[in-house]
Amino acid sequence: MTSPEILGRVVATERKPNTPHEFHFWTALDAPVGIGTIVRVESERPIGGVLPQIYGVVTEGFGYTDLQTPLHDVLGSDGVPGASAVAPTERTEIRLYTAAVLRHVPEEPLQPVPMGTVHLASELDVQTALRMDSYVQGSAMRGIPVGLYRAGGTQAAVHLDADFLLGPEAAHLSISGVSGLATKTSAVEWLLQSIFAHFPEEKGGVAALCFNVKGPDLCFLDQPAVQFEESDRAIYDALKVPAEPFKDVHYFAPWTGRGTQLATLRSHDDLQDNVQPLTWGLRETLQYAEVLLNKDDVDAKADALIDFIKERVLDQVFSDPRFEMSMEVRTFSDLEKWFSTILRAMESANQDVWRTHHIATIRKVRNRLSNISTRCKGLVTDDGTVSDLPFGEFRDRHVYVVDVANLEEDAQDLVFARVVSQLREHLEKRQLGVSQVVVFVDELNKYAPADGPDTYVRKMLLDIAERGRYLGLVLFGAQQFRSQVHRRVVGNSGTALFGRMDPDELATPGYQTLAPATKARLATLEKGQLMVRHPHFGQPIFVRFPRPAVMGGRDGVTRFPPAAELPLDAAVTVALRRLDSSISLAWVQDTLALAGDHEDEVLRARNRTIQAKPDDVKAFFRAQLKKRVSSASAARRPAPSLRPAPDDDPYG
Amino acid sequence: MRHDDAPPRLETATPLEGAEIRALAVAGEPVVGFGAFLDGIQRSHVRAHVGTVPVVHGAVVAAIRERVERRMRTWDVARKSHALYLPFPTLPSALLSVLAERCELVDTLADHDSAAPAPQHPGDLAARALTAIQRRREREERRLAEAWVEQGTVPLLMDGGIASSEQVARSAMVVGAVKSHRTLYVTGDSMPVITGLREGERTTAVVLTSPRRTPVATWYLRLRDPGARGPFFGLVRIEVAHLDADAIAARADLVSRWMLAERTPVALPDSRWDVMVYGIRECEDYLSAILT
Repeated sequence: MTSPEILGRVVATERKPNTPHEFHFWTALDAPVGIGTIVRVESERPIGGVLPQIYGVVTEGFGYTDLQTPLHDVLGSDGVPGASAVAPTERTEIRLYTAAVLRHVPEEPLQPVPMGTVHLASELDVQTALRMDSYVQGSAMRGIPVGLYRAGGTQAAVHLDADFLLGPEAAHLSISGVSGLATKTSAVEWLLQSIFAHFPEEKGGVAALCFNVKGPDLCFLDQPAVQFEESDRAIYDALKVPAEPFKDVHYFAPWTGRGTQLATLRSHDDLQDNVQPLTWGLRETLQYAEVLLNKDDVDAKADALIDFIKERVLDQVFSDPRFEMSMEVRTFSDLEKWFSTILRAMESANQDVWRTHHIATIRKVRNRLSNISTRCKGLVTDDGTVSDLPFGEFRDRHVYVVDVANLEEDAQDLVFARVVSQLREHLEKRQLGVSQVVVFVDELNKYAPADGPDTYVRKMLLDIAERGRYLGLVLFGAQQFRSQVHRRVVGNSGTALFGRMDPDELATPGYQTLAPATKARLATLEKGQLMVRHPHFGQPIFVRFPRPAVMGGRDGVTRFPPAAELPLDAAVTVALRRLDSSISLAWVQDTLALAGDHEDEVLRARNRTIQAKPDDVKAFFRAQLKKRVSSASAARRPAPSLRPAPDDDPYG
Repeated sequence: MRHDDAPPRLETATPLEGAEIRALAVAGEPVVGFGAFLDGIQRSHVRAHVGTVPVVHGAVVAAIRERVERRMRTWDVARKSHALYLPFPTLPSALLSVLAERCELVDTLADHDSAAPAPQHPGDLAARALTAIQRRREREERRLAEAWVEQGTVPLLMDGGIASSEQVARSAMVVGAVKSHRTLYVTGDSMPVITGLREGERTTAVVLTSPRRTPVATWYLRLRDPGARGPFFGLVRIEVAHLDADAIAARADLVSRWMLAERTPVALPDSRWDVMVYGIRECEDYLSAILT
């Protein structure tokens, strides 16, 4: 394990002593050492019969000459800067480095770093220094390559421990970096590919669920990269990860407000095979109503009524003999009818309280619940049509992308809350289909901010961060400013990646443990470089990772331009043709003409057809249309007017 | 008597460029000529006393620092020695035998007239030890200079005179630079000429002769403008081999140009920075670092 070439020598003075955690060494001026270089110290004094070896990473560098003050150089040059350049001798100069200890071998007794020679770490040294030898060698192979360490001719794979990245020992990953350098998203894409390639099969299946929160970032994960160089491929090869796009990706997006097409930038006709609508009905939504109803306008009384609806009304036949009503509430439309019936009956009976609920509370809850389908239009359907993620049937090494980029903030929160809660519930019962799932959330500072209101989504993310590792529910969060994310979320992230950082961010207390030179390097980090913190690594390590072998968002929308919003008949044709290629625009136009001009009904019929995936698409669609149109016509009758709300009704 | 303790004095010398000593502007611009620098240092401590006799530990080291691509490195190896300096006749032979098994011993009364009574005063004995240590340093420097004469390929500048070794004193490869002026070499009324030298001026060369030393050519050179800082500020005396009297003017100019080129980098913070070239200071720093 000894390397013949001596890079430097350990030095210690009273003013700069070595400690068990830090040491100093000098090198030749041209030594290939820099901030982040891993070195090995070979002690010359055996302890207990063993020559200690100490591994460290360079965290600071100093250079100076024998000049006592700059004034001496001025004097020596007669005040002429150019004069020094022609001096026959260059001043004695030193390169002095400070290194933080990564590991002592043997580990005990833990003593200050002894004097000795300093060597560049070899590939094997890097493994030992980062304690990777316990999980990348032998039978306990559970290393997940995160990048390549490169310094002074040494190239070594740096692995994360799957048990500490995806649980159960530790879990979660936090990635920070300034926007616009394609670091955060690229790094996560790369790491997911690495996980899929290296996660041990005996540990069960692993899937990823990614929330696409802005633009086309994650919309083309199944397409090959446009910009992919040999140097990128070399890193993929070195780390034994196939340089190809994700094989199995499923996209989910809600409909646009108009409902004719999905609200995603992955709307090009060539890419629709694996894109599905994401729509929820009343049952899916009401369970998470808390996300959409803030505490300021929903008090305990309103909560009580909502709970009553959830327990006693939803998905069952509800009867009230006093009002002679009996109805089944399964959709928002049903719920609206239910509210109308109750309120009308109360007015008719001239009573203000029904089953302990005051009429004002009922009006208020009706108001808040009824507008959910409006606020979340495209995601929440009035008629209860559900197109959901395949909870219970998640598949190993598959990626599920939920595109919420075009949703309003409330609707995004609802999606986060429900999807993550469902993942949790299924994982608790071991019924998700895979044993581990990685949830990638970009802009985590928005959803789990360090300050601000204690929202449902933040509470949920905190819960994942603190308890998810036991379940296999792993949070990969990305953010520009780590300091703006709740500290319990970042604090529970076993692994942290840092791309180029904003200097102001580096000045915040969370980075106090980093040496100034390390911070300076972080502030100027190139694309494709990361600083990695991981439980096994005694200190942060700099690595290089490849451009991911998947198509970037910008390239994607150039190569696959989003489809323009189509007229109703054309949109229905496109949607149905995916189920039955024989369907033509003319057929759809004829069918719709027969059904009359009921756009909402047409869309509902389309949605139900897509959901059912029937063998005879035409017949099913036509039947849905007829049924919906006829039932709508039958139901359409003038509704009795409600008693107007009192002028002083605060919830009206 | 140690050299540094010698009282200031004037010595006459024979002019080589004309009949009297004159001031001359060095002909030509400064030019780099030296490729190596030689210096030595010594350290001494009274470690113990045997009765009133001081036991002095002396450490000396000398080295040549070679300049390669403007950076300094050690040529060959540094010459280092550690020894105890003792007046043998005043100490029990059994003690000397025991000490001799552990380190080198040097008799500080070796050149004392055995017929005369041995010195008794502890201060006198300590001074004799210091003189012996100094001689040891000079010997190491001399041996290194002689080795350079045999193997060196570029001119060497050594700290001090070159006359103590005949081999060195006859070599064109070695130049000596003397910084202290306890002995001034003058002829007639030349003192004002020497002290009045301006920056970049030298005196005409003279030849130094001594019954026990090889003749060498020497001249004074003002390295830096003295201003009001005294007559010896920036004044060095250069010694070279006295090889060809006809060519001495050109040789003095050339070597002076080499010296003037060494004014940068300045040897600050050394207190002798006005007369010390950086190569010699760097050599001293190196020796201080390795003399443990």
